Amino acid sequence: MRRREAPEGGRRLSVSDFKAEGMIYAATVRSPVARGSVRSIEFPRMPTGYRGILPTDIPGANAMASFGTSIPVLAHDALAYAGEPVALVAGPDPILLEEISASTKVLCDEEEAYFSWESFSSDQVAAKHVAVVGDPDLAFSIAETVLEDSYTNTALEHYYSEPQGAAAAYDYDKLAVWCATQWPYHVRDSVALVLGCKNEEVSVRPTRLGVHLDGKLWYPSLVACHAALASIVCGRPVKLLMTREEDFLYSPKRARSSIGVRAALGRNGDLTGLDLRIAVNLGAYAPLADEVLGQAIFAATGVYTCPNIRVEAYAVLTNNPPMGAFGGLGASHSFFALEAHMNRLAASRGEDPMDWKSRNVLRKGSTLLTGEPLREEVPYGAIADRLARMSDYRRKYACYELVRKRRGDRIDGPLRGIGLSFAYQGSGPFLSGDDSNAYAVEATLDKELRLWIRTSAAVGSEGVLAIWRRSAAELLGVPLESVTVLPPVTDEVPNSGPSTLSRNVTVVNRLVDRACEAIQKRRFRDPLPLTAKSVYRVPKPIQWEEGQVRGSPFDTAAWAAAAVEIELDPWTFEPRPIGLWICADGGKLLSPERAAASLRIGASDALGACMRERVDPTERLGRRDDFFRYGLVPLHELPPMTVAFLEPSRKAPVKGIGELPFNTVPAAFLSAVAQATGVRVSSLPVSATELTRAMEAT
Amino acid sequence: MTLPFILNGEDVSARIRSVDRLSDVLRSDFGLLGLQSDCRCGSCGRCLILLDGRLVPSCIIPAFRIRGREVVTIEGFAQTDEYQDIVAGFRSAGVENCGFCDASKILSTAALLERRARPTNAEILEQLSSAPCRCTDPEALLRGVLAAADRRSRRIYRRAR
Amino acid sequence: MLVSEIHYPRDLLELLDLMRRLPGALLYAGGTEILRQQAGRGVSLPAEVICIYGLPELRKASLSERYLDVGAAVTLAEVLELAGSALPSLLADALRGIGTPALRNLATLGGNLASRDRFMDAWPALACLDALVELRDSGGATWINVNRLRGEDGRPAFPEGGLLTRVRIPLERWDALALRKVGGRDYPGPDTAVFALAARAEKGILAAFRLAFAGQVALRLQEVETRILGRSLPLSEREHRAFSEEYREAAADLPEGLAVQFGALVDGALRLLAR
Repeated sequence: MRRREAPEGGRRLSVSDFKAEGMIYAATVRSPVARGSVRSIEFPRMPTGYRGILPTDIPGANAMASFGTSIPVLAHDALAYAGEPVALVAGPDPILLEEISASTKVLCDEEEAYFSWESFSSDQVAAKHVAVVGDPDLAFSIAETVLEDSYTNTALEHYYSEPQGAAAAYDYDKLAVWCATQWPYHVRDSVALVLGCKNEEVSVRPTRLGVHLDGKLWYPSLVACHAALASIVCGRPVKLLMTREEDFLYSPKRARSSIGVRAALGRNGDLTGLDLRIAVNLGAYAPLADEVLGQAIFAATGVYTCPNIRVEAYAVLTNNPPMGAFGGLGASHSFFALEAHMNRLAASRGEDPMDWKSRNVLRKGSTLLTGEPLREEVPYGAIADRLARMSDYRRKYACYELVRKRRGDRIDGPLRGIGLSFAYQGSGPFLSGDDSNAYAVEATLDKELRLWIRTSAAVGSEGVLAIWRRSAAELLGVPLESVTVLPPVTDEVPNSGPSTLSRNVTVVNRLVDRACEAIQKRRFRDPLPLTAKSVYRVPKPIQWEEGQVRGSPFDTAAWAAAAVEIELDPWTFEPRPIGLWICADGGKLLSPERAAASLRIGASDALGACMRERVDPTERLGRRDDFFRYGLVPLHELPPMTVAFLEPSRKAPVKGIGELPFNTVPAAFLSAVAQATGVRVSSLPVSATELTRAMEAT
Repeated sequence: MTLPFILNGEDVSARIRSVDRLSDVLRSDFGLLGLQSDCRCGSCGRCLILLDGRLVPSCIIPAFRIRGREVVTIEGFAQTDEYQDIVAGFRSAGVENCGFCDASKILSTAALLERRARPTNAEILEQLSSAPCRCTDPEALLRGVLAAADRRSRRIYRRAR
Repeated sequence: MLVSEIHYPRDLLELLDLMRRLPGALLYAGGTEILRQQAGRGVSLPAEVICIYGLPELRKASLSERYLDVGAAVTLAEVLELAGSALPSLLADALRGIGTPALRNLATLGGNLASRDRFMDAWPALACLDALVELRDSGGATWINVNRLRGEDGRPAFPEGGLLTRVRIPLERWDALALRKVGGRDYPGPDTAVFALAARAEKGILAAFRLAFAGQVALRLQEVETRILGRSLPLSEREHRAFSEEYREAAADLPEGLAVQFGALVDGALRLLAR
């Protein structure tokens, strides 16, 4: 068994630490315009050992297939965003390279760029989907109450553990590529296409990934193509590592969204109609447009049953850098808008949102947007009760309502509010485009009863590996120490698909188990070593037709509710969270401690989006202030966080839960601020200046 | 220029330029990969070192500034009993880091416990805000630092007896 | 690649001599404000750099009943530790809100005050406390009030060629101290500022009232403060409205967001007096 690196348990190499004899560095030369074409590229005079690399140096295709779109490796004729890579420079000193890159003259024929996205031209529509159920026009025409508003999310920076980077070098007859990626096989295929060689001639050796929040799904492949190209052209090992600032300015961010919600209520306060218009700014190229829209559309109706629905969703192309996935695809955008709106609806009727939701929530058998019935129970009541007890939600909600109404314009002390939000995370294959929808895992039990697991699935932490190993050890009755998950080097492991949407615990986990079960069945009659391969072919989950959507958006769903209590400084109106509670039905928990930790970690990130994290995608070259200003919420500003899980049923499946905080916390936070201030709040992060303005106006 | 300084207890010298950041010199010239040269503006904490016993971000220190000073990186600190206290404390509390921020969290904890043998929760959270990371579970980290403080105190007490 | 010449003076005399000979040289103490705005791989500095961090004359601190004296190269963390509970909470809050604990081990009080482009976080608190700064050149030393570091146009007016060596912070009794940062906490930008208030009452009469707001420009209306002094507490509704309007008018030239926040902060401060 050939192994090039220490197996998990040993500290895996990172791109930052990568070093090879004779190694040089590469840096990226970027487009100064957001739209247009390159007329000429003039490198400055460079010392010996340095050179520039142009699109004409690419031996294969100057393109990378990525989730429904094609992205140039070095752009030339059709520049799509300011900062887009147009050339490379390579040489031994990274500081000098940075200066060379900055002083390279890129002359362009500039065209008018598109930045507008909340209203946009038809040229800008990368994808559009509409789903209609019932007769929404009629429902709105006869409704007792109609409430309309729009909600916006800013873009967010992943701030993953390591900036984007890659290294490449020849290793005998192959080109080896090192990078941190959620999908090693995508890197391999992309590099092979650019170099014009066979896939098998490229060996991808994933480096330490750390936290990625889906920011390393496809972009590492682009950086890997750059490193590989430079290595081939220069005949040396090459490392290209972006600085954090460069990564912030030019790598993909979480998409921006603007969602208009119109809700109709009948006389009893029942939800009779929903009309949503979703616009998601996916920047240049809009990879994952269908997936983002699909998730956004299904989450647009939230956890509610409604007989008349229209959802119209647009993936909008702009000349901002590409934007897209962030801890999931599009669901969190919709949950945010819908839950914030439903809370406002309930409050406008003088009703506690918890009660209003319980009357309108989905039940087993309720018809989904696809026309299919919901196949599982929605544990709303159990979750709501538990959350109410944990957080003392009901008393606080009533109390803060009363205080605000009696306060008038006298502000004597901190303003307080509590908000509630209910959402789900669907588990399943929800990814199409380049995904072949075939995932495989292999396992081998050798003569010494050591188990070797081979999968290309990328893990961000040792915790997931521990889950696979423990499960495998239990199934085969071998000690934990004898189970090894091999490094996901592409020439040695099968393609297990992209590691996203909680697949590592919902899909790969199952494949590991199945491979072990297959071995277990044979081991006492067939001689060792024994190898089993487990393959999971996923059918395309949903089909879009004219105004209709069909299929099952998820196999199963994890349900959760969050309550967030906030306090606003009476002088600055800056919101500070003082309590956060999440209750979830997470199904079978492979590790309850890790599950609770993952919700707390996700909640910390979600609070960042509520309080301070924002990126305004660039029009011209970079907004450095945004980079210097960007930061996670300091630990001492986080509130106490309490997480609880409902007891799973005996046959409960494993469910993905990592997205639940982002699907629930933002709306709860926003609604808490709205309750405390009594003003309309509709965008994140909450701006103290906007609140001050609104408070003074009332 | 030549830069003499004390690194992990040893007198050393580096050939540096005025443009070189301390974090890059420590990584490239001395192979000390426990720290990262990441944000380069002092905010991400991945480059933390102890400079004359004080926790500082090495990425915003030009190398020339530490002439004659004492630098301790995680590699040097890992030789101490205090390091073992912290690693064991983190492990017992189930602290799982992403692999990039471990050194900064350990050194932040070390610097805190040196000043405050029994820190309060508020002091712990403020100190560990020097090493922000998206992998952090605040609850586990708090437990980990308290466990480390406890181990450290008991070890010192045993030694004193 | 611009390579800088680095100088390491051993004492204050040597430093002053270097400053005289190299008038464009950059004084490098903590350097946090210089390097926090450079995120490229290399560090970009002027041709001549003078390293002043280790100079013993700039690293002293002393505490008496009436003053806290702090050397300009004393770090923010050291100021917080050395002074402990003697440090006025207004200044402590301002310093504790700067960066992270690790950054505060590097950043110096002198560096925070000597910024030429804008007022940094310590200035408003020190202005309200009527702190003094010692400026030295080869001719000698002078003490000036921190408020004189602000020019007529409200912008920083740090005397050229002067070396800030000490900061003297009066230790007085205060009845009301308040500090707020607005516009974003970690990076000083065009829409960020710090607000500070210090007030004292004696026998129901307002005996001291100081209010400062500073970001890229600083606001301190000493003539308004003079008129507020001597009034009986609590202030009446009419007095509150009149003073609030004066302050808001003075802030009209600030960026709109900051002006709005300033108005709310002033109202908060005046409400405090109304209780």
